[in-house]
Amino acid sequence: MSTTTQTTRQARPLAPPQKRRSGLHRDDRAAWAMFLPAAAGLLLFVVVPFVMAGWLSLHNVRLDAPTPPSWMGLEQYRRILLDPDFRGEFYRGLLNNVLFAAVVVPVQTALALALALLLNRPLRGMPVFRTFFFMPVVFPMALVAVVWKVIYARGELGMLNAAIDTLSFGHLGPYDWLGDPGTALPAVIIMSIWQGAGLQMVIILAGLQGIPADLYEAASLDRAGRWLQFRHVTLPGLRNTLIFVVMVTTILAFRLFDQVYIMTQGGPQQATTTVMYQAVTTAFDANNVGRASAITVLFFLIVLAITLVQRRVLREDREVS
Amino acid sequence: MRSRLVAAAFAAPLLVLAACGDAGGDSSDGGGAAADEITVWAHQGQEAEVEALQQAIDEFNALGEGTVSLQFVPEADYTSTVTTTSPEDLPDVLEFDGPMMASLAYAGKLAPLGDVVSAETVENQTDSVLAQNTNPADGELYGVSQFDASLGVYGNRALLDAAGVEYPTGLDDAWTAEEFEAALETLAAQDEDGKVLDIKENYGAEWPTYGFLPVAWSAGERIVVDGAADGHLNSPAVVDAVERFAGWRQFTDPNTDDAAFVDGRVALSWVGHWVYNTYAEALGEDLVVLPLPDFGSGPKSGQGSWAWGVSPESDNAELAGRFLDFLTGDEAVAAMTDANAAPPATTTVTESSTLYGPDGPLAIFAESLARTCGDAAPTADCVAAPRPITPAYPVISQQFSEAFFGAYEGGDAQELLDQAARTIDLDFQDNDGYGQG
Amino acid sequence: MSRLRTTLTYLALTALAIVFVAPVAYLVIGSLKPSGEVIDGLAGFVPENASLQNYSGMLGRFDSPATGYFRDFYLTSLLVTSVVVAGGLLVNSMAAYALARLRWRGRDAALLTVVALTILPFEAIAVPLFYLLNDHRNTYYIQYLPFVASAFSIYLFYSFFVGLPRELEEAARIDGAGTWRTFFRIIVPMSKPVFATVTILSFLTTWGSFLWPVMMVDQPQRRPLPLAIAVFQGQPPYDWGQIFAFGVLMVLPVLVVFLVFQRWFVQSLASSGLKG
Repeated sequence: MSTTTQTTRQARPLAPPQKRRSGLHRDDRAAWAMFLPAAAGLLLFVVVPFVMAGWLSLHNVRLDAPTPPSWMGLEQYRRILLDPDFRGEFYRGLLNNVLFAAVVVPVQTALALALALLLNRPLRGMPVFRTFFFMPVVFPMALVAVVWKVIYARGELGMLNAAIDTLSFGHLGPYDWLGDPGTALPAVIIMSIWQGAGLQMVIILAGLQGIPADLYEAASLDRAGRWLQFRHVTLPGLRNTLIFVVMVTTILAFRLFDQVYIMTQGGPQQATTTVMYQAVTTAFDANNVGRASAITVLFFLIVLAITLVQRRVLREDREVS
Repeated sequence: MRSRLVAAAFAAPLLVLAACGDAGGDSSDGGGAAADEITVWAHQGQEAEVEALQQAIDEFNALGEGTVSLQFVPEADYTSTVTTTSPEDLPDVLEFDGPMMASLAYAGKLAPLGDVVSAETVENQTDSVLAQNTNPADGELYGVSQFDASLGVYGNRALLDAAGVEYPTGLDDAWTAEEFEAALETLAAQDEDGKVLDIKENYGAEWPTYGFLPVAWSAGERIVVDGAADGHLNSPAVVDAVERFAGWRQFTDPNTDDAAFVDGRVALSWVGHWVYNTYAEALGEDLVVLPLPDFGSGPKSGQGSWAWGVSPESDNAELAGRFLDFLTGDEAVAAMTDANAAPPATTTVTESSTLYGPDGPLAIFAESLARTCGDAAPTADCVAAPRPITPAYPVISQQFSEAFFGAYEGGDAQELLDQAARTIDLDFQDNDGYGQG
Repeated sequence: MSRLRTTLTYLALTALAIVFVAPVAYLVIGSLKPSGEVIDGLAGFVPENASLQNYSGMLGRFDSPATGYFRDFYLTSLLVTSVVVAGGLLVNSMAAYALARLRWRGRDAALLTVVALTILPFEAIAVPLFYLLNDHRNTYYIQYLPFVASAFSIYLFYSFFVGLPRELEEAARIDGAGTWRTFFRIIVPMSKPVFATVTILSFLTTWGSFLWPVMMVDQPQRRPLPLAIAVFQGQPPYDWGQIFAFGVLMVLPVLVVFLVFQRWFVQSLASSGLKG
């Protein structure tokens, strides 16, 4: 995104020089006035805590200790990253986040793409279907977690188990979705995809509709079949959209918290613990603000690294077209 | 354009509303209450308890000595709420979960009650409750309770007799760990799925610590001594006991529907007093109440439940004290313990209790509590032991339950207990021993 | 399109639609059934014995300051969301305009900072914010104030403003309009798509906000809906019928608004430049 550094100056023969200078001065004050409220908010509620996170992570801090925070240097980090007593949980949380992202990003995006492609046809009733797919997006994740907690109920009366039982003619037995370490994370993944696909679909749909129709015409004139058209017209045309969607979804995947808190509390046996879940429970339940801050600092560094890598690899095409 | 101004215009009155709303909301926090009014926080647990408490407060208010305004916080959030609220915002009187006492006193959220409540009140409190509510750091009493808690093994007489298993008649002939294991095996041989024991696996939160620390105590160890867990929590005796217990997993029903015992699927249920009413209703005459097995140093049991304390920031400690005297009086205690079937925390009510009195069905619990180990190392004779009374308790509880259940689910007990001990010791170190050296 | 493809398309869409709508249907139907019949296998979809008893029962459970009142949960969510959205639209669009169109000292540094901050998710600062603001728990303002200013919203506005044609602004300048007038009377009306997009995204995020209330709100009177339902479903007795009723009331108005206006939403998402 290039920033414009010069306003195109059309000829203004009647504008006196002083006016132009005072125009700049007026710009300055008005600009600051416009920028200030947001800037104050960002400073107070984003920058300051961000810096505090660093400071807190170097101390032992309890929320209601009679003694002031005591210096610990990099000890919190050493423990989380190196100490065998603590690193296990942290790395497991990180692994879960990575697994979650590795599955959700491609699957949800592919699903959203498939839905958008299906909906991008001049057939009747498309808006109705679009409504159905978009519905879950409106649900707060907390509510989604509550509903799916019931859907995933163990035993043969659980909704999902009953559905699978019927569809498989009784061959696939009831599963303890949230209680079995092997299925807990997949269960969380599935419901997250259910909630998120709709929004991505709408964005991709918009992107699809931005691809000029004559490109398709040209392609079909060249006798390109639908698959080739997809590869050479659709995908390139969607490139920026998909990149945007992938990047945003990846970051969202690492922020995983709500579902875990409500449905599994990190279990069973750390199968669904995440970096953010650990940060919050460490601060809130274990009253160890220092370690929790260290976790969030690491979290930020990880997110930053991923963002930079993604931006590099998936460089958006801002070509002049 | 105009819509944006409209939007901004919307925000303004809402902000005003919000500010007013917040001012209104503040009046429910503690601190600046009127001279004859005190604020009280209580946990919102079972409905019967909630009703009993509200009843008691209504009666106190009717006495005209002062007004108590009560606020409930859901049980699951209660402790973390109190932990994260700063002392100035706490109410005059607050309930707290017994084991949290040292932590709260350390944070300046509880005041010693010696001068606040009457001498009669203190004298009438049972020994076990006094043990739980006394801070070893300064020997002061920081809480008074209406009720206590206990722990045992409930048995289904019909199933036990059918299998020919002998069971204890009291605390003094409790099963040894080996005898208990043999009983499990005998029962399992007769049982359909071999699962004959219920340990409330479906419970979470504080249950693992409360329910199974007696195993460690029964092995003869006080798990944390003078701020050190290493050598105690992971001593060979404890490791052995934990391993043996883990070996019983094959006989244990996961109890996901919380009905294993009442449905007759299992013959034994390791749990506390709070299920007595349900169990008695389901099993009637067939219900027997037995002590926990003895892992070498005599059978042990749990104790300690909710207690009431006064904030050091309170302006009206006098009224608070009178309120606590009222709450721990016979009438209020009897009403509460009728509602929740808990062991009363006062000697007078215990004696006259139908459940816990000398001939009551839960007399064994009352006896366990009377024979409390106090804060000292467990001996062969004492039975109930309080959970470690130290500001590090939250960490100890979390580490113990993780280690215990980790071993139960197949992990290496020595390793897990070693790790738990290290973590606990690290916490003491980080916090300079919590001022106790 | 061939008949076959049309049919296949409809089939695929229908199958997928069933999967997407099933949980929603389950929620609504379950809220109308006696609680014991909610977890009942596939019969959970069958609205036998339908009644509104769960709704009245659920509302009846919130009958004291100790439990909180349902309308308070709603009010809190509405209030917090309104302030964040409305305040955010104002504050962030202005800031973005300053960055996009005005020349001022420090603008480049400011822009760089804002872009850098877009990478910073809320979670990275939640813990220190919790520590710093701990004395302000259980208020309305702690739930909205930290979120009014948003680097991401500023960036969305910025991307859009940068792409606007300059002629109208120039004309306004020549006519003597100041920066403020130009912004409110020229730019804003031209920017409906991005305003709509930011409104939607900001609304969805704030309405569903959960992490922050979990950390900062423990008293029932200030609970927003997501936190309230999380607490409700975690307390015995676990009355799933009532919990579902709670969920329906929580999401229904929002759902209706979105469904009624969805065409407009989709359009604005499309033209706002989000897609790249």
